[in-house]
Amino acid sequence: MNPLIFTTILMTVLLGTMIVMMSSHWLMIWIGFEMNLLAIIPILMKKYNPRTMEASTKYFLTQATASMLLMMAIIINLMHSGQWTIMKVFNPTASIIMTSALAMKLGLTPFHFWVPEVTQGISLTSGLILLTWQKLAPMSILYQISPSINLNILLTMAVLSILVGGWGGLNQTQLRKIMAYSSIAHMGWMTAVLAYNPTLTMLNMLIYIMMTLTMFMLFIHSSSTTTLSLSHTWNKTPLTTTLILITLLSMGGLPPLSGFMPKWMIIQELTKNSSIILPTLMAIMALLNLYFYMRLTYSTSLTMFPSTNNMKMKWQFETKRITLLPPLIVMSSLLLPLTPMLSILD
Amino acid sequence: MMTYIVFILSVIFVVSFVGFSSKPSPIYGGLVLIVSGGVGCGIIVNFGGSFLGLMVFLIYLGGMLVVFGYTTAMATEQYPEVWVSNTTVMGVFLLGLLMEVMLVLYVLKSEEVGVVFKFSGVGDWAIYDTGDSGVFSEEIMGVAALYSYGAWVVIVTGWSLLVGVLVILEVTRGD
Repeated sequence: MNPLIFTTILMTVLLGTMIVMMSSHWLMIWIGFEMNLLAIIPILMKKYNPRTMEASTKYFLTQATASMLLMMAIIINLMHSGQWTIMKVFNPTASIIMTSALAMKLGLTPFHFWVPEVTQGISLTSGLILLTWQKLAPMSILYQISPSINLNILLTMAVLSILVGGWGGLNQTQLRKIMAYSSIAHMGWMTAVLAYNPTLTMLNMLIYIMMTLTMFMLFIHSSSTTTLSLSHTWNKTPLTTTLILITLLSMGGLPPLSGFMPKWMIIQELTKNSSIILPTLMAIMALLNLYFYMRLTYSTSLTMFPSTNNMKMKWQFETKRITLLPPLIVMSSLLLPLTPMLSILD
Repeated sequence: MMTYIVFILSVIFVVSFVGFSSKPSPIYGGLVLIVSGGVGCGIIVNFGGSFLGLMVFLIYLGGMLVVFGYTTAMATEQYPEVWVSNTTVMGVFLLGLLMEVMLVLYVLKSEEVGVVFKFSGVGDWAIYDTGDSGVFSEEIMGVAALYSYGAWVVIVTGWSLLVGVLVILEVTRGD
């Protein structure tokens, strides 16, 4: 793609999300979502094969439907409150419709079906943008309307998302689908605590984005999209096998690493609000996630995965230089002692 | 009839939407889009917005739909689907019509209708006064406000249109 046009389109994606996050008028928010959607379509279609076109079409259809539902909720809110300012939604019907629309945009169950298919059909870099940047805008709106969201619907979607994210990722060998199911599960954790303490939602979003960025960049570094090709990284750059191990265990939520911080805080906040069964269920279902992360680490860094002999002598031109990778790796594994700093997110 | 003109136009609006969402060939979809655009323009004009209504006719029907019609005519197939050619299309069309007829009868018969929001029968659809202050027209002041206080909206929508063109060129360019 022409670099100038690519830069313009990428800047428009950023501009769309910025407009969503900083507007106070519902119509501008809708405009921001549409601008974001419009501009990310050619980024998803960077390579011109039928796979990417199908993935972009699926993404466009689901997100456009979600935008229409959002517009309907905005108009019902207007009819019942007479004003366009963003604050809590004044009508229960409008609140439910808006929650469903934003859940479709995020990929929460029962609207999660597009996430693995779209993530699998596009390149690794586009998948990176899809699973990290595109989650910011809907989450910011959920944060702003959180006082008026129907708790039953929100918690049902959250628990089902964690379940689907864990269970669905078990049978996958394609790395992009694994990241997609991991995204579904993390979105579930984020929305579970939204009604109780939205600051923790933002904390979880921050840590999740850091870890997902790290994982995708490690995959891009070793140009691997399947478990099998990831298991050959010991041959190309042996250091990244250790880094993949650490980052994956952090995504699974194991204690001395950063990924434990949001899960710990969320469970603590939920138990403070006297719900015991819910965080127990969530923690148990996060084990499913941990299982397939550990399976990846087993084949990548803990064993030499069986392969033919010529695969054991891989050769590549030059190592890709990804500047942001080392700080991200450090941040996604060592941030746990900084937990008291989460008060800055208020 | 003139008191209920907005209601009648709204019914025709919904019926033409049913007409193209039951997915006949795009040519026939464009045909009912013309009808729905014209009827929508009529609704806006009845609320006192003569400028905006004529703008819809000029830009939407006279610009975008003409271009759409020409491109569809270039890409049409040998036997385009009409509403009665395919059982599925006809079924969806009749289902939509049936639901609209039932809704209209419900609105006409009962005193108060409360589907998502309440309105009292057909009376709410009739326009008794345009609701403006009588000194200046509301919709012209809206257009003026768009270009003065709403400069940010103009910038954002202008940028979106530019990026829309770039996106379409990128997507259809191929390799």
